[in-house]
Amino acid sequence: MTIVDNIPAGLGDVVSDDDWYRHLGDPDPAGSAAQRTLHDLLLRATRTQVWRLRNRLPGVGATDLEDLAQQAADDALLSVMRKLDTFEGRSRFSTWVYKFGVLHAGVAVRRQAWRHREVMLSDSLPMADHDHSPSAVAEGGDLVRAVRRALESALTPHQRTIMLALLVEQVPIDVLAERLGTTRNTLYKTVHDARQRLRRALIVSGHLDPQLDRRRP
Amino acid sequence: MTGRPERGGLDRAAVERMLVDTSPYLSCDDCFARIDEYAEHRAADPSHRDELMEVHLAGCEACAEEARTLIALLS
Repeated sequence: MTIVDNIPAGLGDVVSDDDWYRHLGDPDPAGSAAQRTLHDLLLRATRTQVWRLRNRLPGVGATDLEDLAQQAADDALLSVMRKLDTFEGRSRFSTWVYKFGVLHAGVAVRRQAWRHREVMLSDSLPMADHDHSPSAVAEGGDLVRAVRRALESALTPHQRTIMLALLVEQVPIDVLAERLGTTRNTLYKTVHDARQRLRRALIVSGHLDPQLDRRRP
Repeated sequence: MTGRPERGGLDRAAVERMLVDTSPYLSCDDCFARIDEYAEHRAADPSHRDELMEVHLAGCEACAEEARTLIALLS
């Protein structure tokens, strides 16, 4: 079974029975079988996520993608076993397990994609706007200029640095967290606060409608 | 090889990412705690709404990517 084959056959029968997980950690054959089922579920999730994100890793072949999925599944299994007592049954156990596999695989792909890339940190704004089409200039030029002013006047240097790295340079949040020795949570809160400040400044200056529709996932 | 990318530009797309309204606030950890339940609801009914999750996913590309994959796994 490789990442190209993708989904293990017959898993659906196992997934439909959510009681098997109660044997996890048992020092007997039922415990061993539960551990294998858990790993199969995680592998399904990590293979799916690695395959969906494979375009972030140009030139990486199927064997290396499979290794990445296997390693992520191994790491996710340890996370699941550590967090087992926090499962509250608000979703199926298999869905709860999948999210650990998806998380670990996503982090692994993003870190590998940025392994040899420098993360540029600066609180100074980029010199040039890249979108010079006539329509962009007409429709958005004024807003972009207002945002530039608000970035300098409304944000702290730290907020500006983090916002530029995540939203302009588009450094993945977990990659930036690792490089800065902080957490995804902390960086997201910094960007949340910066967005609030930026939006307030632009509403005051008349460049932003406070009822502007939110983007939906 | 060490890549030294050119700095990104402050274009319209970057501005839109900056102006996403992420209130009410939900942390990435809290999003992770709810994402399995959210994905099951969305897989069963694409019109299911959860404002807290939708706001967070609109402002956090990593969590949004995880939600899309989780929903795909269940669909």
